[in-house]
Amino acid sequence: MIIVTGASKGLGRAICERLIEKKVNVLGLARNVEDVPFATMSCDVSSYESVKAVAQKIKRDGAMVIGLVNAAGIASMNLAVTTPPSVAQNIINTNLLGTIYCCQLFAPLMLRNKLGSIINFSTIAVALGLKGESIYAASKAGVEGFTRSFAREMADFNVQVNCIAPGPIDTSLLKGITSEQIYKIVSQQIIPKQFKPDAVADLVELLIDSRANSLSGQVLHVGGA
Amino acid sequence: MTSADSVKNEVFHQISQLLEDKSLTVTDDMALIGGDSVLDSMKLVELCLALEDKASDMGFEFDWTSDAAMSRSRSMFRTAGSLATEFISQMEAKK
Repeated sequence: MIIVTGASKGLGRAICERLIEKKVNVLGLARNVEDVPFATMSCDVSSYESVKAVAQKIKRDGAMVIGLVNAAGIASMNLAVTTPPSVAQNIINTNLLGTIYCCQLFAPLMLRNKLGSIINFSTIAVALGLKGESIYAASKAGVEGFTRSFAREMADFNVQVNCIAPGPIDTSLLKGITSEQIYKIVSQQIIPKQFKPDAVADLVELLIDSRANSLSGQVLHVGGA
Repeated sequence: MTSADSVKNEVFHQISQLLEDKSLTVTDDMALIGGDSVLDSMKLVELCLALEDKASDMGFEFDWTSDAAMSRSRSMFRTAGSLATEFISQMEAKK
């Protein structure tokens, strides 16, 4: 089974749908899982206790977990000086601590079998240092640093940990961002175009494939940076 | 021998199974983390998984990830004795 966070919409949802299409057993996690047409559990990744409750349930059910995709995340495009502290806290709690909690609590389910792939999510904003995304980029830079170190900790257990860093993918996360703003960002990528969620799902498929098990601790930039 | 003693022996047995140096005897003050640790980090995780299995056989869940367990007098992993004490305490709490 592969656990996917942020499964109710956006990239997480697209990844779940792709994996299900490929006959992979998926458990989607999201705060609100109403009307999500595949196996789900409600989970707030920013709460250690919430993630732990899900991990305990999976363990009790005896499901064999072979992958974790940490797609849950929130974005914010604001200057740091105009971002309220509560928003900054929320971004760090969800993007950085949420990823850490899921890795801490779901990885032990893979260690026992000495098999697994963990995929975290960063953003191209880290590599490009985008204006107006400093707090968001800080949370994701933390995810990249965590991924590199955690990959070393997991290597002895044959669990690979990598990070996908998309540019502005065409999802609901970009609601409210103008096409000019999107163009400004994608024009800085090596491949200057806006990618669809399918491009990210392709990378997830690649990273969970056992043929990619020589790859760990890496950050893959969608569109190139 | 009390039940707690036999459980402590079981925890020590699990530790001894993972020791590189088989001539070592597990004692209360044997360090499991830090510079003097007899186990590397991989062995420590394997010990946690083995204790999870043992707890499951005994009818309770051994929780090595909770704040309470990790921070009680710093860490339950500081010595073999502190780990056995925590294991027994979780077993008794969940009876």
